[in-house]
Amino acid sequence: MAIVLYRVDERLIHGQVVIGWGHELRPEAYLLVDDELAESEWEQELYRLGAGAVPVDFASVEEARRRLGEWREDARRSILLTRDIRTMRRLGQDRLLAGASVNLGGIHHGPGRTEVLRYLHLTEEDREDLRSLTEEGAEIAARDLPDAPRVPLSTLLKD
Amino acid sequence: MDILRLSALGGLLGLDGTAVGQFMVSRPLVAGVLTGWMSGDVGVGLAIGMLLELYLLVSVPSGGARFPEAATATVVAVACAAPFEGAGAVVLAVAVGLVWGQVGGASVDAGRHLNDRFVPEPGDAGDPAARVTRVHLVAILADFLRGATVTATGIVSGRFVVRSFVDRWPLDGSASMALLLIGGAVSAGILLNDLGGFRRRKVWFTAGLALGIVGSRFL
Amino acid sequence: MSRSLPTGVVVSAFVRSLAIQGSWNYRTMLGSGFAFALLPGLRHLYGGASDEIRVPVERHLEHFNAHPYLAGVALGAVLRLEADGADPEMVRRLKLAIRGPLGSLGDALIWATVLPGVALAALTLAWLGAPAWVVVTVFLVLYNAVHVVLRIWGFRAGMRAGREVGRVLAGADLAGWTRRIEPVVVLLLGALVGAVVGGAGGLVEAGAPWLALTAVAFLVGLFGGHRTWRPAAVLTVVAIGAVTLIGGLT
Repeated sequence: MAIVLYRVDERLIHGQVVIGWGHELRPEAYLLVDDELAESEWEQELYRLGAGAVPVDFASVEEARRRLGEWREDARRSILLTRDIRTMRRLGQDRLLAGASVNLGGIHHGPGRTEVLRYLHLTEEDREDLRSLTEEGAEIAARDLPDAPRVPLSTLLKD
Repeated sequence: MDILRLSALGGLLGLDGTAVGQFMVSRPLVAGVLTGWMSGDVGVGLAIGMLLELYLLVSVPSGGARFPEAATATVVAVACAAPFEGAGAVVLAVAVGLVWGQVGGASVDAGRHLNDRFVPEPGDAGDPAARVTRVHLVAILADFLRGATVTATGIVSGRFVVRSFVDRWPLDGSASMALLLIGGAVSAGILLNDLGGFRRRKVWFTAGLALGIVGSRFL
Repeated sequence: MSRSLPTGVVVSAFVRSLAIQGSWNYRTMLGSGFAFALLPGLRHLYGGASDEIRVPVERHLEHFNAHPYLAGVALGAVLRLEADGADPEMVRRLKLAIRGPLGSLGDALIWATVLPGVALAALTLAWLGAPAWVVVTVFLVLYNAVHVVLRIWGFRAGMRAGREVGRVLAGADLAGWTRRIEPVVVLLLGALVGAVVGGAGGLVEAGAPWLALTAVAFLVGLFGGHRTWRPAAVLTVVAIGAVTLIGGLT
């Protein structure tokens, strides 16, 4: 499978992804799934800057759902990123992410969010979305960097 | 009181490390010479500045990472070496500087955690414009005082160490320098690794090496 | 609505940007510093009364991060957008998108390349016997020529381009500059090593055992990378302590 990492990270492409995961997984493309970003050229320009020489593809959720099979069969190794959990859930609806490991990277604190890990702050809706993604077959765990401990969803949602 | 003046210098140079300016007067090479000049021994200041610069070549104030604090460590090291004679003074002072760099780094980290408790965020009560100015300026002042305190305590304890052991140092100047260069060589190796490694950079590295050897013979 | 900003306000924002890391913290990182630097601009645009300025200031207290020398790019762009009366949500998205590249481009160019390069040049001069004031002057002038130009260029580029600043940054090709300077830094590193090994008072004069130990240490750093730094520093301190103790006994 050519998508080597599915990750939720509100910062999308940044140091942890490019240096931390990039050195480990050597991606040949980043796939950014985000409805607003897919429409916004000036923002795409900025996110491309962070990826260095690695090309970046932008897609809306709907387009991503159509192209997921193609991406998976692509010879290029790619990292797929969404900025929030809701987008990943919409991408995975109808078991599209069944069997895939979904990595929770970074969601920082804000209104309505409670700290689950130092780098992970969840709302009630986030928790609901995560449960639904699991029910549809995705395997979810948090890990900010490749050498950090992997924290499975069952531990994250234990109150 | 030279400790008072040197502590003020440590505080000011410490500010340059992160909070204000970052003109890199906080680097060991500059801080060492400045401290040496203030303590009446520029030669010792330059020697210690060079050695600590070499050690800290791969330690930069990047983002949220923890790093040894170069400025206060260098002021402390030079201030500890300057009053004493002999090769041992420089060696022991460099050791003091390496240890105090960690103390300084830990104090920077503590200061950042302290700022966590005061920086305003959206939704906080009160007038955010007044509060952001006040917190920002107080944080800068606090960082100066932190740097000055780290420097003062470092000088007092470091001078005690150097005074106690300087006469026991058995090696001559050349061997002492060689000993300190062993640790510095690790940093040089790390830097070459950062810059792409020997295999990728062998042509440029070897060319530089030849240039350095030839240059040092003729100059 | 587009309004021009008086020179005094622009200069004040730039000067404040020199201290953008003054209240560095783990919660919002440069968030409060960004608001502090933007304050003169916001006061000019929204009025100084606390109820007028409350909402715009709060918008800029959120998490922000960047390399300090490039933070001015974001600051300039945000000033421009605020003066143009841009949609706050768009300004927020600009700050979210730009912090990653401003951090990684600046770290690679400045912390990993220009700073070690200039330090190596100054160290080599010092090792070859240049007077202290020459060493310090060369270091500060060379380094800050790059530093100050980068700060001013970045702030002005942001002010001029506003939302389209990504295109300007891509055109400036900072990553390309990093790649081009890197070999020069390697050359300078080689030169320093050569001077230290072969020069007067160098390792060759200290003797073969010292030379061999230093070579081993260099290889440890070269193949071990950053994780060897702390053990090496600890070992150095321990070795100095041990030699002192042995010296005291004999």
